[in-house]
Amino acid sequence: MVRSPPREMRGQRMGLSRNHRVNGARMSSGANASGAGQTATHAELSLIEALRQGNEDAFGRLVDQHHASLRRVARLYLSNRAVAEEVVQDTWLGVIQGMWAFEGRSSLKTWIFRILINHAKTRAVREGRTVPFGGVGADDIGGPEAAVSPERFHPANHPAEPGNWTSPPRDIRTSPEGRLLAREVGEQLQKAIDALPPNQRLVLTLRDVEGCSTEEVCNVLGIQETNGRVLLHRARAKVRAALEPYLEGGG
Amino acid sequence: MRQPIGSSTGMPCQELVELVTAYLDGALSPADRESCDAHWRTCPGCRTYLAQMQLVVGSLGHLGRRDAGENGAERNHLLDLFRTRGFHHRGPRERSVPLGVADEFASPGDHISYFWESEDEFDATAGFLAAGVERDEVCVLLGHAGANSRLLADLERRGLAPDRLRRGDRLHTVSGQQPADAVLGAIGDRIRTAVDRGAPMVRVLGNLGWGHPGWPAEGDILRLEARVTDAVRNLPSIVMCAYDVRRLSGRSLLLGGVECHPLTLRRGALRRNEHHVPAEQFLETLALDAA
Repeated sequence: MVRSPPREMRGQRMGLSRNHRVNGARMSSGANASGAGQTATHAELSLIEALRQGNEDAFGRLVDQHHASLRRVARLYLSNRAVAEEVVQDTWLGVIQGMWAFEGRSSLKTWIFRILINHAKTRAVREGRTVPFGGVGADDIGGPEAAVSPERFHPANHPAEPGNWTSPPRDIRTSPEGRLLAREVGEQLQKAIDALPPNQRLVLTLRDVEGCSTEEVCNVLGIQETNGRVLLHRARAKVRAALEPYLEGGG
Repeated sequence: MRQPIGSSTGMPCQELVELVTAYLDGALSPADRESCDAHWRTCPGCRTYLAQMQLVVGSLGHLGRRDAGENGAERNHLLDLFRTRGFHHRGPRERSVPLGVADEFASPGDHISYFWESEDEFDATAGFLAAGVERDEVCVLLGHAGANSRLLADLERRGLAPDRLRRGDRLHTVSGQQPADAVLGAIGDRIRTAVDRGAPMVRVLGNLGWGHPGWPAEGDILRLEARVTDAVRNLPSIVMCAYDVRRLSGRSLLLGGVECHPLTLRRGALRRNEHHVPAEQFLETLALDAA
């Protein structure tokens, strides 16, 4: 069996113009603000290199880092637990087999989530389920939606304070820094997430639960950043509204 | 009811609450950011709103960190997958990918020659592409115009709407009418782009234009075929090259079809090919022949 090429051949496999292209992508993303998470970091690239060498510890660390997130996101597409697990396993197989072709045009995390969502979508369609961001015009965000019910503000023709609060949210006793909602409220939080429309739920989960940047979320889902942020905003507003009774000090 | 203190900056509270996400993302223009800050300085209602949002966002993040880790058995299973299916692993790989032709299975990284004699055998190669479409993979056609248009018609007949696949970046054509380096580069680009977008695999179907107008000479096509095996062996791709047994020269069939492919598919059976010659040796011999 003489099938494996010498190392230096593998390094340059096909074409020579890669670096050029990677830099091009980085520059264009840097031009529109933060650019964080757009391309893979040095740490990620060296992790990929370790995977290519067959470093099992490196792979184990990657699994520890992302497995629970992948499972949670898969469940947003597939309610059947076993099917979602299969999709997550296929995702890891995709990572294992795609790592020689991954060249860091996106962050490692973005790439892994993209593989997951690709598999999850295919699977969900096959099972006849509606898929978040499925179909044509999938990131259509629909008509306007108010973050807070208009009834809580003075009307626009109010003589003194047009558009200002009539019933503002009441002060919370806890300072937000480093404080979290109490455990029993966690259940309400989950309920509020579950009640969101699928697209909003997916964006909110990736952004706030899994800790992706807005840019990463939009990259993963293939949607416009402005649309992604609108969906995130609506989702957060709904969750806040659902939890408002618990947020108000004495409740 | 407490009298809310409205902002003196002109931006109504109702407008400000719609900017909170963009504000927290650092996505506002400096001017908008400035008016938000000014508003918050004077409006306790909106300050509370912002604090509640931050609390919600923080708690959502906590939800994510709460159940990380745990899965012992699953972790071991994945490590096992890495050990056995990782591409650092030498030797024959598990054939896990349905080829879509003759009920055979292949492995990512395979380079297969497909010898066909009848029209039915040619049409069966569309099954290779159809299986890829079914699995949400990306397909690449590397062939002369006659073969490609026939394959597209075959896909159409199978109800796979090739135009839609093209628009969805799921089906591409790479021109073979260029030097071997450029062809390899173009295939590599297609594979990397697809992988980067999360596609599980890429299938390349070759109908090389031996002797066709505009295509490179036989020697150049052979040099391309010889190098494909190593070029794709670590990539999530399967390359299948169709060889027309009735029309191609014995030399093209032997050197290209047989000696350049580690696997052959003929009359419905995929076989490991003992006559495959490693690229370096093949290219050396080819150079000697030419001299």
